[in-house]
Amino acid sequence: MIAPNQTWTLIFEAAFSIGLIIMITRSRKGLKVPAIRKVSGLEALDEAIGRATELGQPVHYSPGIGDFQNSQTLASFAILGYVARMCAKYDTRLITTNRNPVVYSVTEEIVHQAFVAEGRSDSFVADDVRFMSDDQFAYASGVLGIMAREHVATNVMMGAFWAESLIFAEAGAISGAIQIAGTANTHQIPFFVAACDYALIGEELYAASAYLSKDPVLIGNLVGQDFGKIFGVVIILIGTIMATMGNNSLSALMKK
Amino acid sequence: MRKEVPIVICAAAALIYVLSTFINPTTSPFLGKLKGDLDTWYLLVYAVAFAVGLINLAQIHLRKVTQQRQDWQFSIVLLGFMATTLIFGIFTTGKGPVTDFLYQYFFVNPRATMYSILVFYISSAAYRAFRIKTFEASILLVAAVIMMLGQAPIGEVIWSQIPKMSAWILNYPNAAGMRGITIAATLGGVATALRIVLGIERGHLGGGGE
Repeated sequence: MIAPNQTWTLIFEAAFSIGLIIMITRSRKGLKVPAIRKVSGLEALDEAIGRATELGQPVHYSPGIGDFQNSQTLASFAILGYVARMCAKYDTRLITTNRNPVVYSVTEEIVHQAFVAEGRSDSFVADDVRFMSDDQFAYASGVLGIMAREHVATNVMMGAFWAESLIFAEAGAISGAIQIAGTANTHQIPFFVAACDYALIGEELYAASAYLSKDPVLIGNLVGQDFGKIFGVVIILIGTIMATMGNNSLSALMKK
Repeated sequence: MRKEVPIVICAAAALIYVLSTFINPTTSPFLGKLKGDLDTWYLLVYAVAFAVGLINLAQIHLRKVTQQRQDWQFSIVLLGFMATTLIFGIFTTGKGPVTDFLYQYFFVNPRATMYSILVFYISSAAYRAFRIKTFEASILLVAAVIMMLGQAPIGEVIWSQIPKMSAWILNYPNAAGMRGITIAATLGGVATALRIVLGIERGHLGGGGE
């Protein structure tokens, strides 16, 4: 019935999902939700957009090069919604560049809705949400050009990035932009940490929507996520101790 | 209705994907076929969205040319190549000497050039990151020097233990950190997916968080 080597993945995912649903239900009932720690990269978003407003220069937003199905891209949409609302509020130009055509259609709608929600639909410029190219490096060269020509004051990069991450981050640094980046692609995190002013590391990207909206239901979901992590750490510790003592039964069990 | 219908469609599609991952395809071939159909539909959506993207690109650059905005000449180059590639792509179904020429000399080389730029960017980013301003930056610098020496033959000439130290940094502190981030990010991805399926997070529907 169950696909080969998927039994334990199914059990863990089901248990994790049930835990999340319990935490969401508790939050919906208005039960106390723990406070979440400060994420400096997200705290800095307002300041970065404010800087662009003061300088009268645009904000650039990239949702990465992941497909629409990529969970990092989906997490990025919530941040784009927030950035677009802030830009609409302060009447700051926002340039959103896209590599994936499906993602482009969605980001255009997100930015448009954000401007409408702030009562600034007349300030929305459709040309500022751009599809560049579906090729990774053609997209990268297009973004490089925009950063240089448009004198971007703030560069926000949130989503799934690969080799273009450092190209964007260095181009932003050269143009003097304040840069906030986030990705869960472990091989690109060091580049963002080295080249950007603020970096969201791994799961912080997924926590952004809860953090920015302050919605107790979303925060409840984050708490559930943390319980999942604690459970994972406990299993890893038990497995490590057992393996050190020469007993590999837990790791063998997990492979089933 | 504008929000509810997409949420229901999203939840149904997600359920099909989850079930087709965990249920043995031999016991339920119907589920596999359903997932295959969804993949095909996504390709169709992608193709339509691609056309929308091309129109967006053409509109932006045509406007730039007609209004003769700054650097409008580059837009002519872009539009020219876009039209040429499109025409030859359609009439030769992506094969033939002209398409090959365009691909080989106007696509592959600039692509490789863009990738090569990374070498210089890595150096400039490393320079900024390695400036000893904080204790963390000092640790980063020391680890980076050991890593670089460990990967180069000169490292072993200086001290035979350097390659071992380099391997230790790579296999233990680095691997442990990377795995920790990966596990947490994976759980974050599952939690995000669940929020979307339950309709709690609606950013992808164009309306921000809620």
